[in-house]
Amino acid sequence: MEEKLSSVAKTLAPSPIQQLSYLAERCNAINLAEGFPNFPAPLHIKDAAVSAIRSDFNQYRHVQGICDYVACKMKEMHGMNVNPLTDIVICCGQSEAFAATMLAIIDRGDEVILLDPSYETYDTCIRLAGGVPVYLGLDPPHWTLNSDKLEKAFTDKTKALVLNSPHNPTGKISTKDELEIIAEACRRRDVLAVTDEVYEHITFDNERHISLASLPEMQGRTIITSSLSKTFSVTGWRVGWAIAPTCIASAIRNIHIKITDSAPAPFQEAALAALRSPPEYFDLLRRDYESKRDCIFNLLAKVGFKMEFKPKGSFFLFAELPESCTLSDVEFVEELIKQAGVVAVPGSGFFHANPSADNISRRYIRFAFCKSEDTLTAASAKIGRLVDNASGYLKLFQLVRKS
Amino acid sequence: MLVQFHTLEPFNFFQSLSKRPILKLGNCAEINSICRRRISSVMASSSVSKAAAPTQDCAAQPLQVAKRLEKFKTTIFTQMSSLAIKHNAINLGQGFPNFDGPEFVKEAAIQAIRDGKNQYARGYGVPDLNKAVSERFKKDTGLIVDPEKEVTVTSGCTEAIAATILGLINPGDEVILFAPFYDSYEATLSMAGANIKCVTLRPPNFAIPVDELKSIVTKNTRAVLMNSPHNPTGKMFTREELDAIASLCNENDVLVFSDEVYDKLAFEMDHISIASIPGMYDRTVTMNSLGKTFSLTGWKIGWAIAPPHLTWGLRQAHSYLTFATSTPMQYAAATALRAPDSYYEELRRDYMSKKNILVEGLKAVGFTVHPSSGTYFVVVDHTPFGLENDIAFCEYLIKEVGVVAIPTSVFYLDPEEGKNLVRFTFCKDEGTLRSAVERMKEKLEKKK
Repeated sequence: MEEKLSSVAKTLAPSPIQQLSYLAERCNAINLAEGFPNFPAPLHIKDAAVSAIRSDFNQYRHVQGICDYVACKMKEMHGMNVNPLTDIVICCGQSEAFAATMLAIIDRGDEVILLDPSYETYDTCIRLAGGVPVYLGLDPPHWTLNSDKLEKAFTDKTKALVLNSPHNPTGKISTKDELEIIAEACRRRDVLAVTDEVYEHITFDNERHISLASLPEMQGRTIITSSLSKTFSVTGWRVGWAIAPTCIASAIRNIHIKITDSAPAPFQEAALAALRSPPEYFDLLRRDYESKRDCIFNLLAKVGFKMEFKPKGSFFLFAELPESCTLSDVEFVEELIKQAGVVAVPGSGFFHANPSADNISRRYIRFAFCKSEDTLTAASAKIGRLVDNASGYLKLFQLVRKS
Repeated sequence: MLVQFHTLEPFNFFQSLSKRPILKLGNCAEINSICRRRISSVMASSSVSKAAAPTQDCAAQPLQVAKRLEKFKTTIFTQMSSLAIKHNAINLGQGFPNFDGPEFVKEAAIQAIRDGKNQYARGYGVPDLNKAVSERFKKDTGLIVDPEKEVTVTSGCTEAIAATILGLINPGDEVILFAPFYDSYEATLSMAGANIKCVTLRPPNFAIPVDELKSIVTKNTRAVLMNSPHNPTGKMFTREELDAIASLCNENDVLVFSDEVYDKLAFEMDHISIASIPGMYDRTVTMNSLGKTFSLTGWKIGWAIAPPHLTWGLRQAHSYLTFATSTPMQYAAATALRAPDSYYEELRRDYMSKKNILVEGLKAVGFTVHPSSGTYFVVVDHTPFGLENDIAFCEYLIKEVGVVAIPTSVFYLDPEEGKNLVRFTFCKDEGTLRSAVERMKEKLEKKK
C-alpha cells in the first residue's frame, strides 16, 4: 500500500530530533535538546486562557485584537506601518503560518534560498508546495553571510529567500550589513523574502532584533512569520501569525482557512493578555535567558568545546566539538545520553548543502537553554562529573570512533 | 450581482463580535506591482484578485498549479455576514452553536493549563487522547485500532482532511466527491492538484445514485471523499449505500476518506462508519473531531484513524502543516471522549427538540423541507417564495425578514444544481430558533 502515498510524503523521514527525544526519555536523560521550556508559562497569560474558556470563547473565532497588537508592536519595534485589517493572518503557530505562506507563493519548480544550518521544517514545507530548496552555507565560526555565495545561489527560478533571525540553531542575529546585502539582492532580483522571527524578543547583550521587512523597499516583498510560543513560553497553544502585503496576506488567509479554519479560540483571547504585557516582561525575559545562556556557554567552554561564537539571540547555542574529538556529532550525542544522562541535538540535521571539505556538518551540537535553573544546574553537574581530572575536559572527547 | 472583496471573512465562520467594514480590493492598488507579480500564479486565477488585473507573468503558468487557489471563493458569505449585521438578522447560517460546551470539558482544559500542560505535545497526539480516541472508536464501531500507530490528532477535522489529502494524493490523481459538499474538500483537493469527479445527490432524499457512481469509479480512481452524516443535507449513508461504495472500492483498489464529524448527531438512524464494513478498514481514513459533539468548535481538536501505511503519509503532512496540536485542549478532549452514554443521549434529545422547532416552523412558513437524518442542518426548497435563485433568496431573507440561511450553490461544482436549495442550522438555543421562525411566519410571503 506504500504506493498510495503522495510522492512528497514518500521522501519524508521522521524527525531526528524527535527520535533522540525518545532515546532520552528511555534513559531518563535531562533534555537540553528540545526547543521548549520546562518552566511554567506566565501566570497572567494562563489566567487569561482560563477566563476565556469560562467566558465561552470556545467557538470558531478570529480575534482582531491580536492583529491590532501585532501591528502596534511592528510600529514600535521596527517603525513599520502594517494594516491590521488586511496584512496580518492569525494561524495555528508559526508552523502553520510558514506552511500556508509556502503554499501561497510557491509554484512547482520555484527555487527558495535557505541559509545553512537551518531548522529542518522549512525544507519540507517548500517541497510540499512543489518548490526546490537551494542551500547556501553561512561561514563558521561566526556564521557570517558571504555575499558572493549569496549572489551565486540566485537563478532565474528563484522565487523567495528564507531568513531565520534570531537563528535556530546558532543563536546568530543577522547584522544590519547582512540584512542590507540580502535586501539589495532581493530588490535587484525581484525576489520575495520569508522570515521566521519567533525568537524576536529573545536577544542578549543589548542587541536588538531587526526585521528584514523594515529595510527600504522590503515591506512590499517580505512575509514575516512569528508566534506567541517562544516569547510567552506557550509552545503548546498554537497561536502565530503571518504579516504580508495585502494580496499575499489574503492568499495565506484563504489557505489557512482550508488547512485548519481557525487557531484555538480561547488561546487567541489569551494572546491579547500576552501581547499587552508591559516592557518589564520582555526585559525580564531577556535577562533570564541571557543568564541561562551564560551558564551553559561557560560550562561548555570550560569542559573543552570550541566556543568561538556566543549566541546573541534565541535559546540555542551551537557548540563545536574540539579537533581532538574524532567522534561524529551523532556518536557524541549518543554517548552524552548514555554516559552523562544529558541529551542535545547533533548538528548534522541542520546542514543540507553539499558536505564541505572539512565536514563542518558533523562537528556541531545544539544545546537548548530554555530550561529551569534547576535543570541547567543538574545538567551542568552531570556533565561536570565526566571531565578528565588533568585537563578539565570531557572524557567523551577521547573516545574512539567505532567505525 | 456585485461581488465584493473582503480579506477577512470566510464563509463558514462569522464573527458576531467584530463589526469590521467591508474592504474593497482598491487597497491592493497601493501595493506595488512586485506583490501582484510574485504571488504564485494561482492567485491570478482566483476570484479574489480579479479586481487587480493579473500581469502577464501569471498567465503562462501550468493549469495544475493555478488550480491550487482557484476554489478559494469566500465572497458570497462575506456579503451575507455583513448584511446580517446591518439588518440585525438572526443567524441560522453559521454552522456553530450559540451555546457553549459542557462544564466538565472546559474544567478539564483549565486544569491542564494550570497543571502546566502548555508546551508542544507529541506531534501525532497526547498519548492519553490517542488512547481515548481508539477506545471511543471501538465502542462505536467494534474495531480495535492501535492508538500509537493508527490514530493521529490534528487541529480540527479540517486539518485531518488537509493532511490526508496532501499526504496521500498526487497531482493528477482522480478523487470522487459527492455534491453538495463542505467547501474545504474542493479547495484542498485543488491544492493537491487532484482531478475531481463529482456525483450529485438530489432531493428529495439525496440518495446515492449507485449506477452513476459505478460508471465513475474505475481503476484510475485514487480515492472517494465522503461525509456522513452529511453537511449540508443531513443525509446519512445507509448500509446498502455503504456496501455499494465498499464493493466498488474493493474491486478497483480505491481509498476512502470519510468525514464523520456529525456522527453523534444521528437522529433517524444509527451512524455506520464505512471502515467497519468488511474489507474497508485497510483502505479507509476515518476523520472526526471534538467540536460538533461537544459544542467547542473553536478548540480545533480533530483526529484521523487509519491503518499504519495510510497513517504514515497523513502524519508526515500533518507534522509540516501544524507540527503539533493545542496541548491543554487535547487533555480535555480525552476527558470529553470518556463521557458516559448519558451525555450523548442528552445531546441527541436536545438537538432533536431543536430540530423539531425549526422543521415544524419551516414547514408552517411554506418551505419544502427535505428530510434530514443527522447533523444540525436541514436544506429546504425556497422556490415557493418566488426568488430567482438561492443567493437572491438569502439576501431577501436577511433584508426583508431578518434571518440568515446559507445558499447551497457554493457546495456544488456546478452552482446551478443548488439554486433551489438553502441550508438552515438548528445549533442555536431554542429561543433563537423560535424567534427566527416567528420572523419568517410574519414576513415571508409565498408568491403565486
